[in-house]
Amino acid sequence: MPLRIYLSNDTSARAAGAERLAEAWAREPELEVVRTSSRGAFFLEPLVERDTPEGRLLWPQARPDDLPRIRAGDGGVPLSRIPFLAEQQRAVFANFGTAEPLSLAHYQRHGGWRGSERAMGLSPEELISEMKRSGLRGRGGAAFPVWHKWDIARRTEADQKYVVANADEGDAGTYCDRMIMEGEPFRLIEGMLICAKAIGANRGYVYCRWEYPAAAMTMQRAVAEAERAGRLAVDGRPFRLEVFRGAGSYVCGEETALLSSLEGGRGMVKVRPPYPAVSGLYGKPTVVSNVLTFATVTEILARGADWHASLGTATSKGTIALQLGGRIKQPGLVEIPFGATLAEVLERFGGGMADGSRFKAVQVGGPLGSLFPESRLEIPLCFDAFNEAGAVLGHGGIVVFDKETDMVELARHYMTFTAEESCGKCTPCRIGSARGRELLERIEAGRGTAGDLALLADLGETMKATSLCAHGGRAPYPVLTALEHFRDEFTRRFSHGAVHPAHH
Amino acid sequence: MAPSIPLTINNRQIYADAGDTVYTAAANAGIAIPSLCASAQLSPYGSCRLCVCEIDGMKGLHASCSMPVRAGMTVRTESDQLTKHRRNLVELYLSERPAGQRLEQLADLAKAYGVTEVRYPPGAERAPIVDDSSPFFTFDNQRCISCARCVRACDEIQPAFAVSLVGAGFAVRPAWGAAGLDGGGGVASSTCVSCGACVKECPTGALTEKTILQEGPPTTFVRTTCAYCGVGCALEAGLRDGRVVSMTPADDGPANHGHACLKGRFGWTYNYAKDRITEPLLREGSSWKRAGWDEALDFIARSFSRLKDEAGPDAVAAISSSRGTNEENYLFGKFIRCVMGTNHIDNCARVCHSATVTGMMETFGASAATNSIRDLDAAKLILVAGANPTESHPVLGAKLLQLARRGVPLIVIDPRRTEIARAATVHLQLRPGTNVALLNGLGHVIAAEGLVDQAFVEARTEGFADWQSTVEEYPPDRVADLTGVPADAIRRAAVMYATSGASLSVHGLGMTEHRWGSHGVMALCNLALATGNVGRPGTGINPLRGQNNVQGASDSGCLPTHYVGYQRLNDPAVAARHQTITGRPLPSRRGMKIPDMWDAALEGRLKGLWIIGYDVAQTDPNLNKVRAALARLECLVVQDLFMSQTAKFAHVVLPGASFLEKDGTFTNLERRIQRIRKAVDPPNGILPDWQVVCEVSTRMGYPMRYGHPSEIMAEMAALSPMLAGVSYERLEQPAGLQWPVPDPQHPGTALMHEERFARGNGRFVAVDYLPPGEEPTPDYPFVLITGRLLEHYNCGAQTRRTDIIHLVDSDVLEVHPEDAARLGLRDGDLVRLVSARSSAVLPARASSRVRPGELFTTFHFPDSDVNSLLSSSADDSSKCPEYKVSTVRIERLDDDEELDPEDEAERRRVHSRLGMVP
Repeated sequence: MPLRIYLSNDTSARAAGAERLAEAWAREPELEVVRTSSRGAFFLEPLVERDTPEGRLLWPQARPDDLPRIRAGDGGVPLSRIPFLAEQQRAVFANFGTAEPLSLAHYQRHGGWRGSERAMGLSPEELISEMKRSGLRGRGGAAFPVWHKWDIARRTEADQKYVVANADEGDAGTYCDRMIMEGEPFRLIEGMLICAKAIGANRGYVYCRWEYPAAAMTMQRAVAEAERAGRLAVDGRPFRLEVFRGAGSYVCGEETALLSSLEGGRGMVKVRPPYPAVSGLYGKPTVVSNVLTFATVTEILARGADWHASLGTATSKGTIALQLGGRIKQPGLVEIPFGATLAEVLERFGGGMADGSRFKAVQVGGPLGSLFPESRLEIPLCFDAFNEAGAVLGHGGIVVFDKETDMVELARHYMTFTAEESCGKCTPCRIGSARGRELLERIEAGRGTAGDLALLADLGETMKATSLCAHGGRAPYPVLTALEHFRDEFTRRFSHGAVHPAHH
Repeated sequence: MAPSIPLTINNRQIYADAGDTVYTAAANAGIAIPSLCASAQLSPYGSCRLCVCEIDGMKGLHASCSMPVRAGMTVRTESDQLTKHRRNLVELYLSERPAGQRLEQLADLAKAYGVTEVRYPPGAERAPIVDDSSPFFTFDNQRCISCARCVRACDEIQPAFAVSLVGAGFAVRPAWGAAGLDGGGGVASSTCVSCGACVKECPTGALTEKTILQEGPPTTFVRTTCAYCGVGCALEAGLRDGRVVSMTPADDGPANHGHACLKGRFGWTYNYAKDRITEPLLREGSSWKRAGWDEALDFIARSFSRLKDEAGPDAVAAISSSRGTNEENYLFGKFIRCVMGTNHIDNCARVCHSATVTGMMETFGASAATNSIRDLDAAKLILVAGANPTESHPVLGAKLLQLARRGVPLIVIDPRRTEIARAATVHLQLRPGTNVALLNGLGHVIAAEGLVDQAFVEARTEGFADWQSTVEEYPPDRVADLTGVPADAIRRAAVMYATSGASLSVHGLGMTEHRWGSHGVMALCNLALATGNVGRPGTGINPLRGQNNVQGASDSGCLPTHYVGYQRLNDPAVAARHQTITGRPLPSRRGMKIPDMWDAALEGRLKGLWIIGYDVAQTDPNLNKVRAALARLECLVVQDLFMSQTAKFAHVVLPGASFLEKDGTFTNLERRIQRIRKAVDPPNGILPDWQVVCEVSTRMGYPMRYGHPSEIMAEMAALSPMLAGVSYERLEQPAGLQWPVPDPQHPGTALMHEERFARGNGRFVAVDYLPPGEEPTPDYPFVLITGRLLEHYNCGAQTRRTDIIHLVDSDVLEVHPEDAARLGLRDGDLVRLVSARSSAVLPARASSRVRPGELFTTFHFPDSDVNSLLSSSADDSSKCPEYKVSTVRIERLDDDEELDPEDEAERRRVHSRLGMVP
């Protein structure tokens, strides 16, 4: 019997060298390399695993010449000895690391299709009440109650309804949707089938961002596999599912822009109401939800609403998938129940700051999220607390900045990002972000004045209050929180010109 | 229904309709909320954000333009924070414009919110891009605010999709043309149909009419009605220093709701054409003598008096203008009946919809649209039978395209693949001249499948059994052989028409201008009767009348068969009323129809003819015969704006006043009487046609004295029960009046035949298919269809004298690509079309709008002389000519063949337009 070893095929793992290992070992005799999903502990990649009678053993940061050690079983670490993984409470990502992305057999053996099979036996009303009891809220950023969206789509009469998975995961430092599509694509398909059953849809689309070629490819294959296996059906009618690739626009993560793009138009935001659940794709009722949301739906149907409702806080039920990045020791995916504090997560899972660096700020919720200084890290990770703080959990991205970071440059960078990704439809975002970027460029170049800061704040208030969508409405937050917590870095530029703060 | 949703805006309780947004509800209640991107014509968009408001119980601010009303909602549209944000938004708009540029509409907002300076440091400005490629308007990006009203107007109102947004973020802007993200060759290279909707919607003047850029913006407006097609668009003529400088569709226009087409919107500059006739001309041998009005009017009166005395009343006839007002038409009819003492009067309806008049009179008892344009919104299916509305009735065509986009099924019957046919659910592409067979085939399926509305048939109709046994002979397979339409398509269309719940038919000259045109119209009416699709909103038979007042010219009595209001000539009561009011007897013998007049002239029976505003020598069929007839007349009087082909034969030419230069009324294709108003003085003291008729009549011993056209309308109302309730006072309302208006309190009739048909019961008239007048032979293997283009109007006398000429400057022969290849024709090659009557030289172009073996062209340009090819074949009962079917052959012209100077000029023009090296 050849030795079976497991190696992730996830894009992050490949970037860390998994492909080099796979190539090096391709012609090794008596060796079977099984490509799997990733555990999301990217600081350990490339991570090689093998089965032992005591369970899996892991060889972190493996090199080609580690093969003899792995064959011999030398130096392998059991999962329980890696706190980053052992201390998580994984549900949606429970199979990550073992799941073989396109193996229907593996998926079935590890609980696959249980959720959708159960759903097919329930009525739409029962499904919606199941979602209501679970307390699931959308994971894309807006945190809208899933049951409510489904119920509106279900009640709206139409000859055609759609289910659309938002896989336009554009926030810098987020990757959990990509992991799902690359690692356990059937889980997403299942969630979409369950939704289709609940609302009465027979067509679905996965809107996958252009920058995720591997995810799109895997999804396409998974759809074909599922279809071949007769899984793409709702109430005996075929459910047609297609993977659609976006064209590289950040704002197409906004649901109405996404739908415009999917229809073949410019990816521009539309006014709401009507919401997509009433009038979405081609004017038909459409549920647009994030990939992680659908993946969670699958788990809720498999395990029951009560299981989900038992996790998390009063209004933030279930688990949150945090994606740690930036200047910390242990970047990677962390799935835990809602409610832990930001400080706790950074310390316990992030493992503290990377060697030689000191903490300065952390941004939660993507490029439109607020910055938190050290004094604000006790905030619990749940929707309400963030809402009260005027911040957002967004899609769970957490990026840590160290003392080397120039906050003026960072603020300018964010406003530049907003300006470059603005769809150009509404005035506060289209012109406001351009003016904001110019003000910050001026300050960065040492030509700013106190009046510029006041103008920036005034502009920020108007952008927040009047923008058509969250792109313009949230854009001021990173800038204004940088200004709030690190004001002296801005004022210092007035007289001294462009100086890197590390030189002080 | 009165608005019923209560809400509070700025502490005021108001009521809104279910579809209202906060913005529209406020506007209806007289509460103004600032906005630049909102438009009553367009769906909510949410670009400018100026309309934000506060709503109790809802976090944050909300754009009122996209917020639906909810019962009990409390809204504030003014507050300190709202003012602050609006101020900041206006400042942002100003910040993207180059310093020193005029602010135009933004200036009011800047003033209102106290934006005196832009606080931002100099930064990015809008790119200096100008699109000057349209003959009619200019786009200046630096005056634009990227609100996309132009894009939305083009998509939602016209649907032409000629303009879209390009660029990203700050640089987003509208662009026309199809060459990449930077925008392409501009308006001229796009699918723009020059309807001007984008220009009208533009809130900042970034899009402006060239006439306004040249002459300055209008200072006053005069409400009038378009003088092109029969849709009857309400227009606002913009005036400056006594000249028209713009023409804008009126939002409360009942037929057009703020939309127009390029002819109405930009095609009015012929009014100032250099070659307008400005004084009477008398023939002197082969040339003209300028004459004073008295001299000319005396000459006419003397000539007609002499002819009447010498040869009797039947020696003189009149052809009235379907372009003129109701009042002028009535008066012309009064002249021929009271002064000349005959009924020899006809109008252009003879050659377009006379078959409709006959067909609908026989079946319904009234010869006009049964329903109203607004009923298109109530229809669940629309049948477009032999009509090309996106070109010939563009505003109605745009409406149909809107409905098609909304999912309303369209069935189109047309031998050509027109724009509306491409938008159709089912296109029944039949052989020209086979309408009756096809319609009977539809009837066959309806009867055979049990889709007849039995209750309607029993309660409201007669003659059903006859019809049923006739259509029995038209099973789909046989009809497929006769018409070339697949049997499946016939079945599908029949079921759709019969089962939609409300099927509305519009038809055009493709139904009427045939050898058996009246039969076609009857076959169409039969279908409506069999399925109960008449007398209800969203149904009916609705002829699309071609000229602005072709309905009114017939209504006013310019028919040899009927008196004003379609009253019978032999009705003693009518005659008595006529005698009382006019003081003269009503001639009871039917007069001559236009084609009869040509025969009479050629035979020497007709000696005098007075034609107002109708170029028979270009637009009637079999031109050689028409010209010969005109040449034989002893006295031909022609009134026109320009020296038309017909005027060239005249003994007296009188200048005419345009629709912008006189008062009166037009009646549109939905029987709606609307005012036209004098906006400017005619040049050189030209008399309007009605005054000319009065002057001649008075000189012939029958004084006509009217101070104003309103007095003429009062007389028409007194004479005609159908118009009894019409008065200028009532016509002041924007909606005008739809006849019948039986008394002064009657609101007018939007829907006819509701309880009973005008003739009592609806009558099925069973008709059999008979072949067209000509069928292809080896000598003349092609079937020629004639029709119209969007850009030009009928004989082109007006449109050719506007900037429209820069879009289309020649008639073109459309040849199917297979035929073109077989004949070795390249686009732009001149060919000679030869019929048994005559020949004509035209440039050809390959086009799959026509089928193999069929050809299409227009007769907008006198040079091409297309109508000389046609025969005098006409519908038996109505004499409506068979414009739609003639057989011809195509002869190639060799490049070195010598042509006469006109054709040679044409060849050079076409070649230069196609960029071909001579």
